Amino acid sequence: MTTATAEFSTQTHENMPEEMLPHKAGRKLWLPMLLMAIIGFGVGIVLAFVRADAVNSGDAETVAVLGQLVPGFMFIGFATVFAAIAFAVARILGVFREGGSGMQKMAGSEIKTLEMPATGKAFMVLMVLGMMTLVVAVVLHFIVGGAIAADSAWAVDNAETWSIALEGARRFGVSVYLLSIAFGLATIITVLRFQSLRVREIVAAK
Amino acid sequence: MTVAVDRITKPAANADPSVDFGHRKLGLGIGAVGLLIAVAVAILAIVAAVQVGDAGQEDTIGRILAIAFGLNTLALATLKVGISVILIGILVRLWIRVQGIKVALPLLKAPAQGDAVLVGTVDTPYGTCEVSEHEPAELPIHKMARTLWAPMLGMGYMLVVAGFVVSLVWAGNIGSDPELAADTSAWTQGLQFLGEAMVLAGISFLLGSILRGLRQGGGDVQESIGVPVQTLQMPATAKAFIGLMMAGMVLAIVQFVGYIATTTFDNAIDVATWFTWLGPLRELSLGLLLAGIVLALATIGNVLGFQFWRIRGIVTTGN
Repeated sequence: MTTATAEFSTQTHENMPEEMLPHKAGRKLWLPMLLMAIIGFGVGIVLAFVRADAVNSGDAETVAVLGQLVPGFMFIGFATVFAAIAFAVARILGVFREGGSGMQKMAGSEIKTLEMPATGKAFMVLMVLGMMTLVVAVVLHFIVGGAIAADSAWAVDNAETWSIALEGARRFGVSVYLLSIAFGLATIITVLRFQSLRVREIVAAK
Repeated sequence: MTVAVDRITKPAANADPSVDFGHRKLGLGIGAVGLLIAVAVAILAIVAAVQVGDAGQEDTIGRILAIAFGLNTLALATLKVGISVILIGILVRLWIRVQGIKVALPLLKAPAQGDAVLVGTVDTPYGTCEVSEHEPAELPIHKMARTLWAPMLGMGYMLVVAGFVVSLVWAGNIGSDPELAADTSAWTQGLQFLGEAMVLAGISFLLGSILRGLRQGGGDVQESIGVPVQTLQMPATAKAFIGLMMAGMVLAIVQFVGYIATTTFDNAIDVATWFTWLGPLRELSLGLLLAGIVLALATIGNVLGFQFWRIRGIVTTGN
């Protein structure tokens, strides 16, 4: 017999399914990531005003060092705020899974949950890719900034090259992160569609 | 206008839940276009970085970076429009879910047991909730979200596109007219980041509309089956979400005004000094809007948890 949810890949459980690792991570990590983001943005904006003062007074070394540290801290903020968004989306997916399973159990039917859709897998892969791109760019900003502060002639000569290249990397990382969030939200649409059909399936069986 | 926008987010009561409305594919498609533009920007950055240090290439590098800046912001705004389309799809699906639960719950609900609180407040694992006989009235912030998400998205994207066009003028005048190049640089940055902030505000309002849908849909379901209507009071995360969104928008306007102010400066050092703090300030404005979005998503997670808890309560106790 064809069921309303036949088009979906599902798992059937006798008892409430265990919480999946991405959902658990989402539940536990969205708030710490948000707090880190606020710290990153806060430090970044303070250093930006210090750098502006150095630009005005002509302190070239401070300008060059902070030219690396300011984007470094601002993008710690972006990397972690996007991580917080991704974890909050994962938490919502976890709530749907747990809530949907609980409802099916209460209704006395077998518990069916969606297998992770392709969009869910793309969400996680792109999130890791976006985060790694941003983290690597931030680390390199700090290394170059440290080298300039230590009077490395090579670092001073190549500071502009690094700034341009790392800006490109940061921009690409943010784009990948945004696409990962789009995939995470698209997974919520799939889950909502599955749950609407599953509810009707349960009612039809009553 | 509002009625037309409501039709986009609220399907007919008898909409077929098995139909794929296409928001997912359209949103991801728009997002993919945004990523392709971002790849082009990354290539431009590499080309510019390789040319640094080559004598006589300063103007060429400046032109490449000006175009890359305009294109990059366009890429990010395009990705956010894709996300918005998917959020609209979530809103549509939430209303279909409401219809499904309205049909299912009377059949699953146990006979009423014991006395239920009919009016007042009750504590739940998800926070304090109001109990009423009828579906709760629409909150002003939800009305604002329903009315403003589309204009914010539309105007924001238009500002980003306008900024991209100005970035081409900026690139075209590097080397030939430094004063015009500096002015158009300021206009590009100010316009595009005000636009980005408005697009993010549009996304925030869409999330607010999702919260409105959950509140109204939950009330509608409970009222339709004759049980006391329980509605969560606005949680602290939702209040902080509104505060962060407002702070982010204020900073976005401040950075725009700041960039326009630099076009009146005669001294290049003053312009450089202002650009030094305006760049991180515009990023902070986006950061605050994004932090607000995190809290909106956290609130949605909390409200969904409450709704599933409430449904289980109705199924087991009948009230």
